[in-house]
Amino acid sequence: MQSREDYRTDLAELGRSGAAPLRVAGLKIELGRRYRFAASHRLHTEALSEEENARVFGKCANPYGHGHNYMLEISVSGEVDPATGMIANLADLDSFVEREVIEVFDHHSLNEDVAAFRNVVPTTENLCIEIFERLKRFPKANLERVRVQETTNNSFEYDGNQKGSAS
Amino acid sequence: MVLITRKIEFSASHLYNNPELSPEENRRVFGKCNNPHGHGHNYALEVTVAGEPDPVTGMVLDLKELKEILEREVMQRMDHRFLNYEVAELKGKIPTCENIARVIWELLEPKIKKGRLHRVRLYESADLFADCYRNGVGGV
Repeated sequence: MQSREDYRTDLAELGRSGAAPLRVAGLKIELGRRYRFAASHRLHTEALSEEENARVFGKCANPYGHGHNYMLEISVSGEVDPATGMIANLADLDSFVEREVIEVFDHHSLNEDVAAFRNVVPTTENLCIEIFERLKRFPKANLERVRVQETTNNSFEYDGNQKGSAS
Repeated sequence: MVLITRKIEFSASHLYNNPELSPEENRRVFGKCNNPHGHGHNYALEVTVAGEPDPVTGMVLDLKELKEILEREVMQRMDHRFLNYEVAELKGKIPTCENIARVIWELLEPKIKKGRLHRVRLYESADLFADCYRNGVGGV
């Protein structure tokens, strides 16, 4: 069992060489974080007739919509700060995602409550793009990609940094 | 090219503290991760190796061999240990997911003789993980 004094000495040792750069040439580190939100949507477009909507979207076109428990996974990259050992402080990342995504989508109708989906079908593909656009403004790290799981059987990924990305 | 992945789980304790910061700053930056006696996690490690299957065995790297490397390099070092005090490679570093993943990469890369290490993913919890890649190879 350590005494309190031993503990203090040990604590003083922790991170002492933390001032040295922690980046190793050629390695890339990403931080991944998962969030959850529940929302409803309806897949339907004015561009198609009612019959075509029913044919293309099936029961996802039912008039009053339906809901999912979405899981959002984001990856950010950047230098690992030697003082903290972190790419980005989780509290900063969490509060940004909370404000930009969770508060906007959680327990809302994507079609009715989110301006971006007024004229865009809220498929999970389009949801990924919208979330990427919202989160790429995070000032403290680079957003690499977002992955959204609509159910445990399907998921969608988007990297808006790649050439040929949708927006 | 084929990617193969092996997963292991280990349990360990850690705390975040930078002696160059004041106790108040440590508290502000690290929150409850700064509690002086540490806390623990069940870590899950996914190690992905890339390569061409051997024409005779059909394997990129025998998973049994990979399991032995993980046992030797990671489990024996980190499982049921206090990462700050008992893992030499983490001495003087804040044992965040980012730093532990990088240390694991450095331990494993030279030991993998068939195929090449493609990704180290370390989960601290189901909702928090770090990925380590060779630069420019990000994503799977």
